[in-house]
Amino acid sequence: MKPAPFSFVAPESLGEVVRTLAEHGDDAQILAGGQSLVPLMNLRLARPEVVVSINRCHELDYIRLADDRLVIGALVRQIDAETSPLVQAECPLLAKALPHVGLPATRNRGTVCGSLAHCDPLAELPAVALALEAEVVLTNVAGERRVPAHDFFVAEMTTCIEPGEVVSAVTFARQDPGERSAVGEVSNGGHVFPVGGVALRWASSDGICTMARIAAFGVGSVAQRLGDAERALVGSDVGPAAIAAAVAAARSEVDPTGDIHADADYRRHLVGVLLERGLLEGSVHD
Amino acid sequence: MSSDTQGAVGQSVLRREDDYLLRGQGRFVDDLPTPLNTLHLAFVLSPYAHARITSIDTSAALALDGVVDVLTGADLAAMVKPIAAQIELPGYSFNTRDVLAVDEVRFAGEAVAVVVAESQYLAEDGIELVEVDYEPLPAVTDIHEATDPAAPQVNPTVPGNVYFEGRFATEGVAAGFDTAAHVISEDFNSNRVTAVPIEPRGCLAVPEQPANLVFYSSTQIHHLLRTALAEFLDVAESNLRVVVPDVGGGFGIKAALYPEEFVCAALALRLRRPVKWIQDRYGALLTDVHARDNHYRVEAAIDDDGIVLALRAEIRTNGGAYSALPFGCTLETTGGARMIVGPYRITEYEYTATAVATHTAPVLAYRGVAQPVCFMAIEGIMDRIARRLGLDPAEVRLRNMVPTAELPWTNIVGVRYDTGSFVESLEMAMEMANYDEFRASQAQGRLVDGKYRGIGICSFTEVSGTGAPGWRARGLTRLPGFDSGTVKVEPTGKVTAFVSHAHSGQGHFTTFAQVVADALGARLEDVTVVEGDTAAGPYGTNTFASRSAVTGGGALIRASEKARLKLARIAAFMLESTPEDIVVSDGRMHVAGVPSRALSFQEVAETAYAMNTSDLPEGESFGIEETDFYDPPLVTMANATHIAQVAVDAADGTVDIEGYVVVHDCGRVINPMIVDGQVMGGVAQGIGEALMEEFVYDPDGGVRTATLMDYLLPSSVDVPNYQIAHIESPSIDTVGGFKGVGEGGLIGAVAALVNAVADALSDLDVNVNTKPLRPALLSRLIREAGG
Amino acid sequence: MTDEVEVTVTVNGRTRQSRVEPRRLLVDYLRHDLGLTGAHIGCEQGVCGACTVLLDGRTARSCLHFAVTVDGSDIRTVEDLADLDELHPIQEMFHQKHALQCGFCTPGFLLTAVELLERTADPDEATIREALMNNVCRCTGYANIVDAVAEAAVELRRGHGA
Repeated sequence: MKPAPFSFVAPESLGEVVRTLAEHGDDAQILAGGQSLVPLMNLRLARPEVVVSINRCHELDYIRLADDRLVIGALVRQIDAETSPLVQAECPLLAKALPHVGLPATRNRGTVCGSLAHCDPLAELPAVALALEAEVVLTNVAGERRVPAHDFFVAEMTTCIEPGEVVSAVTFARQDPGERSAVGEVSNGGHVFPVGGVALRWASSDGICTMARIAAFGVGSVAQRLGDAERALVGSDVGPAAIAAAVAAARSEVDPTGDIHADADYRRHLVGVLLERGLLEGSVHD
Repeated sequence: MSSDTQGAVGQSVLRREDDYLLRGQGRFVDDLPTPLNTLHLAFVLSPYAHARITSIDTSAALALDGVVDVLTGADLAAMVKPIAAQIELPGYSFNTRDVLAVDEVRFAGEAVAVVVAESQYLAEDGIELVEVDYEPLPAVTDIHEATDPAAPQVNPTVPGNVYFEGRFATEGVAAGFDTAAHVISEDFNSNRVTAVPIEPRGCLAVPEQPANLVFYSSTQIHHLLRTALAEFLDVAESNLRVVVPDVGGGFGIKAALYPEEFVCAALALRLRRPVKWIQDRYGALLTDVHARDNHYRVEAAIDDDGIVLALRAEIRTNGGAYSALPFGCTLETTGGARMIVGPYRITEYEYTATAVATHTAPVLAYRGVAQPVCFMAIEGIMDRIARRLGLDPAEVRLRNMVPTAELPWTNIVGVRYDTGSFVESLEMAMEMANYDEFRASQAQGRLVDGKYRGIGICSFTEVSGTGAPGWRARGLTRLPGFDSGTVKVEPTGKVTAFVSHAHSGQGHFTTFAQVVADALGARLEDVTVVEGDTAAGPYGTNTFASRSAVTGGGALIRASEKARLKLARIAAFMLESTPEDIVVSDGRMHVAGVPSRALSFQEVAETAYAMNTSDLPEGESFGIEETDFYDPPLVTMANATHIAQVAVDAADGTVDIEGYVVVHDCGRVINPMIVDGQVMGGVAQGIGEALMEEFVYDPDGGVRTATLMDYLLPSSVDVPNYQIAHIESPSIDTVGGFKGVGEGGLIGAVAALVNAVADALSDLDVNVNTKPLRPALLSRLIREAGG
Repeated sequence: MTDEVEVTVTVNGRTRQSRVEPRRLLVDYLRHDLGLTGAHIGCEQGVCGACTVLLDGRTARSCLHFAVTVDGSDIRTVEDLADLDELHPIQEMFHQKHALQCGFCTPGFLLTAVELLERTADPDEATIREALMNNVCRCTGYANIVDAVAEAAVELRRGHGA
């Protein structure tokens, strides 16, 4: 199980990266942490002609606040985001989700942006991106464009990244103090992909829910924002009746598929279980 | 003459293997230094379960720089005879396999061509360029559908896709059912799994002058492999040496003889260059032997007290596309049929046991063989008896068990249980698990804080150390049974012990040294164990089916005793005493009662090797090197009880294992630490099998679980801490009193967990008779029951 | 451009310069080019962890990296843990607690334990089990590995005067 031959470039700046991409078009593949890409290359299910490593682009290794959003550069490893005080302070939902991603060794190398670009339907971070109203920054030789998460994820393993573009960063909405958030998932074994999960955050004022952002993964070909469930919560007291309504809404707005790991009915059921659990157990951001 | 029992046996001696393995200096087959001119193999695997091979174009692969040769089934057929398991059972359909498919493929993953290249990378580049045209044919994978008259035929010599059907019945079965107060019947479904040792298979064939082949293989059965290579390659055994390097787990699947081994050896002989093949995980999942695709229908006739009056079992096992060597496709079939009666006094018994051919990977040995399934069935029946009669499941077992006072007991299929502790192990396990308290806490309802809590028992017998008569009873007439040991006292007095086994993690270098030290009267640190090499020591049956302690231990004890007698004779001569008066202990010999009249092993050995001025006694031969063989009885029966305590989440269907108790009886324990390790490792595999592992074929035979992302293994967070205790009922039928321990951990865990989950959900009146018990399945059962 | 590329890495404290094909996996580079066969190949799918090494001080799957992508990195393998006379305290505890059987997965577990105990001096059992998810063992059933890591943590704290 060895990869097919490829040629390799490791530019040292974003400018060089996009020029290389422009030169090779569809034949080029960005390599960041490689924790999703290299297994596919080993299986020869992915066989790029040119691998463009961004691992020397140190300018992409940053976490900062800009324009009232948390910005994470393309070379930020998942472990560094997980342990970042800035991420913990501004986007606790992301900090809570990261320990669920992969395994310690893959988080040490895998990047936040890479997981989004890979767009695995069972991955946590696309759902977190939806719940945190992320914008993905796509850069090419002509400049950059910012794509909201709900437009970025198109289908299983498919995003709106065009040939010549690289995900250079992702930005997330900052969570307000007092917000609650939770991430829940179920898997068939401790170290393997979940069969489904939910990421959510919500805020209340005087006991009334003022904002809710809920996203699920493992319920279809791509992570999904659960708008009906959100609407069932906003304006409610997030009491038993409202939770039951949100759970029912969530279950009716997903359309999961079954596979060897779990059937569709279970995944539909599970979305409700995890949403309810998250609403009851979600912790406050202070 | 006597030897003090200074007792290395019974001690938790730390392992000698650890130091080099911990330093990363293990020598697994892919770690062996290879000659620079070594060639590498990669196999082209069929994506189809059933297809006609219409053409194979190797030209593009051959044109690739670095590819040395590409061979197809026809090429290999000229070099290797079709391989076949020899089973002598009435009605068995003999069938053969070409080492590379010729004309037709019969399971997804069957190799159709092999690329020989200068590196593994290049070999894999080559296989992408081999163009195979297949004409897909209808396939059958399901054991019930396979015997439908309309089902596609898997093998022309296996009519109706039935490899074998065995029947057995005692006279009073019908009467037992006629007079029964109740009949409990159930279907039990067991899914296909495979062992997944973390080291994939591999081999390295190195030609040496004159015309010899040294063959390194990640195998458990080096002697059997050498014989098979000789037979199917038509090479003299004398020209073949099989060496087993460190092996990264075997669990039975490396006790099979695989096509790749024959291809690798044949090509090394043909090309006169070293040839290496290292399997990848994709190939491992598709082509390693599989196990447990079984269906059991069991009926028990019982009286009002829950006593089993008669038992019927209809067993159907999936043998896969070929009857694999050396044990054949009937291994699970005859195994389950013969072992299901377990520790119970079952006096009327009837079975029908069928081995079915399908378009799936061949099935052979995986830790436990049939026992995880047949005990899932009989232990499931015990629980169902309890539920039907309102009795406690433990009580039902106790009423049906053969009590220790009645041992030795010969069971209904003729297997003798010489010693054991069926009742005692159950009672001790109940105590350790606080069983009665747990049952009392369930009285308020099994659903507490969103979790259904249950407890499950598996009390079982564990077949180990099978001798030739045991294999004959199952039609395996070409499988020996004996193993051999050679004990050599070297001129310096150090001891080398050769044994016909091969380790894959069991700690043989340590445990066999303990056995030899005691039996010979040597110091433990002076004994070195050598194994896994057909050139080192005589023939044996090798390491599978929990054999090594029984057969290797027995052979080494017998060889040690012969060597000790010789030491004593020479020492007596040197000390002017008689052999009967010589005490051998701690690496020294002295005259009984006179510790000062003593000699060291070295002093006696120097005489034996004529390295001093002493004479040997008249008629005594030079050297101290003694060999003996040991064939155990029919089978050596260990026993155990497992009790699992689980919590099933009512909302999401996940299972937490909240307690796990094992009371095991493997007779005389050589090394408690290592025995515990075997038990714990087996339990973890049983947890995997019960809760998550499943090898999945599409209905058309395509593979859905070709990676470890899809075939799931338990990790550190999926297993509990284990409470383990031992009862020692030394075997009275075997030399040394040992019984095997390799498989019980897995056997007991499957049934204990399935029963625990069933118990947890028993208020819901759902039927848990299948595995794996994944969250989706359990959640569905709970939801359907309105829980 | 599939030509060999120059790579410079520090492996177990020693600088290594090599020319490698871009597709050469780090694990093959370590095992077959440098002769460091302690890291093993169990799946090449990133799941089993037998190939685990420390890459710039953190555990990494050497089957999921190309040698060329780790140019300039510091790599530590299992061969670097013990000295000639003594095992590393974690290795010693694996020995004492019978935390290995076949030993094939063991080098990966050891490096996972090194990383854990460098980050967390006094981990509880749950933390240890979470960390050990990095690696799959098919022989031991994990319990003795968990024990060994817990005991090694005690040893290491004692060794550092804590």
